[in-house]
Amino acid sequence: MPLIQAEGLTKTFRQADKDAGLKGSVKHLFIRRYKNKVAVDNIDLSIEAGESIAYLGPNGAGKSTTIKMLTGILVPTAGRLHVDGLVPHEHRQRNARNIGVVFGQRTQLWWDIPVIESFNLARDMYEIPEATYRANLAEFTEMLGLDEFVKLPAARISLGQRMRADLCMALLHNPKILYLDEPTIGLDIAVKDRIRTFVRRLVDERGTTVMLTTHDLGDIEDICERIVIIDQGRIIHDGDLGKLKDTFARDRVIHFQIARGAELLPALLPSVRAALPDSTVEAGDDGSLSVRFDRFVFAAGEIAAAVMSRAEVEDFRIDEPAVEDLIKRVYLGQLTLADRPGSKAAPAPEPAAEAAAR
Amino acid sequence: MVVAGSHKYVSLARASLEVILTYRLSFLMNVIGTVFYVIAMFYLWRTIFGGNSAALGGFTWLEMKGYLLVAFLMNSLLTWYDEFMIGRGIREGEVASDLVRPLDFQTSRFAQAVGPVPTELATALLVAMAVAFAFGGVALPPDPVYAAVFVVSAALATLIKFGLIFCVAMGAFWTTGLYGLTTGRIAVQGVFSGALIPLAFFPDWLRAISAVLPFQGTVSTPALIYLGKVDGTAMLAMVAVQAAWAVGLIVLGRLIFRRAVRAVTIHGG
Repeated sequence: MPLIQAEGLTKTFRQADKDAGLKGSVKHLFIRRYKNKVAVDNIDLSIEAGESIAYLGPNGAGKSTTIKMLTGILVPTAGRLHVDGLVPHEHRQRNARNIGVVFGQRTQLWWDIPVIESFNLARDMYEIPEATYRANLAEFTEMLGLDEFVKLPAARISLGQRMRADLCMALLHNPKILYLDEPTIGLDIAVKDRIRTFVRRLVDERGTTVMLTTHDLGDIEDICERIVIIDQGRIIHDGDLGKLKDTFARDRVIHFQIARGAELLPALLPSVRAALPDSTVEAGDDGSLSVRFDRFVFAAGEIAAAVMSRAEVEDFRIDEPAVEDLIKRVYLGQLTLADRPGSKAAPAPEPAAEAAAR
Repeated sequence: MVVAGSHKYVSLARASLEVILTYRLSFLMNVIGTVFYVIAMFYLWRTIFGGNSAALGGFTWLEMKGYLLVAFLMNSLLTWYDEFMIGRGIREGEVASDLVRPLDFQTSRFAQAVGPVPTELATALLVAMAVAFAFGGVALPPDPVYAAVFVVSAALATLIKFGLIFCVAMGAFWTTGLYGLTTGRIAVQGVFSGALIPLAFFPDWLRAISAVLPFQGTVSTPALIYLGKVDGTAMLAMVAVQAAWAVGLIVLGRLIFRRAVRAVTIHGG
């Protein structure tokens, strides 16, 4: 059985429906009207132990709402949800022992007392056996470089130090699942790296299941194997990074630098175009030739062969769509499931995406 | 309050005490404030007694001084600061953090509120002794039984006070005007607890009202027991009433909290 299993998970919020301005506010005092806003819309999610998942989506897409349901903070409006066999909001305290939660924008550390005291508090709170506590603390202190500041109160450490301490505190009780909400927000490159390496080792060495929300693509590439994208409450992608590219960015562009290109290209173009149907072949001013093609229709080698057999190629390079661009386009709503390029030729139907599409 | 697994709450209380000790200066300032207050009360009542050795409202001046010091002591334990902290936690979304930890919200807040009680108690006793010395001594409990029951009654008074504070702090779920609610609680409690004027001085109708309110249990009851103003069965009945109010208010607080959390977790704040 999967560690996290959600079926038809839905969360609807009640929002005050009030007209603008003072008049609207006064009216609302007397006549309360509400409208429902669907934050998470019938999502299916199945996560096995040991997976590392990036949960992405633009602001307001339903990421935090989903995480809050998984952690038991919010009660789902509809659907079924089990986390390690428990219904989180019904067994909040038991569920709490299985999970570690780090919110990038909020600390669990006690502000006024030394960081180490917060850790000791976590030990008592989760009733962690002394031996486990000592072993974990030693290991995390070494991996995250905590010893330089554990004796200082949280109020006096930097954001990067705070984040590392928060990670440690969330993991002392050996949780099966770690939820990270924007863990690297506002951190410098060195700290980001350290945190990513740490989380990755957690997944590899301890088999911790990690689910993180982020807007930082470095987090995804360094930590996660699987990417789930939610938009307007629906899951629009569920799969690995390669699959994301296959689904949303099948186009590749190869740029060729042709010897005496400016001179030869006008004659060359029609023949290349004829050899590569369904591709876009364009000549640049500087004697370059670029071919945009669907990589499920042509292999890059075929494109190269077609061009090289007709002209002398001095240099070439392949443009892969950057994940960043890809996700940006998804966020901007420029790519939706409906207009997935060539969905008819999609390699394998994708159960989660299909489910979300219904 | 669950006894099993209470170790974590003891740690929570200890951490909370440590925070208070970190802010020694701010703590000292609060103590100075209360010293002025208690001295002012003593001068006021000395003027009222006007050097008479005759009893007023059933109190001699010696007993009145004892009464005022017990009132001072009870008012020193748990303060507006506890409402402020619980309310701030609610406003800043600490409830969410608490829901993902194996902690009971009310018990945690209780632990954090009583954590600093040892320092509050120690300083209040010091101030009380100094004031008692300066004003020529105070009445003591007539015998050890009264002293022992007084300790129980004072503990129950603190529970009632926590119950009140917790219920008021729940207001933070619905309003940002917690300060007003807290001020109101302190004002009402000041009158009906007998902290400003012993209830014996009240007209009958006002005394009847205070009898059905929980506030008298926070000051009047322990003070009367301390002075031995009530005998055996009446004393036990008063302690029983205190216990009932303590349980009732704590349960009420739990119900309000549960309702508020349900509203937040189901409708989303």
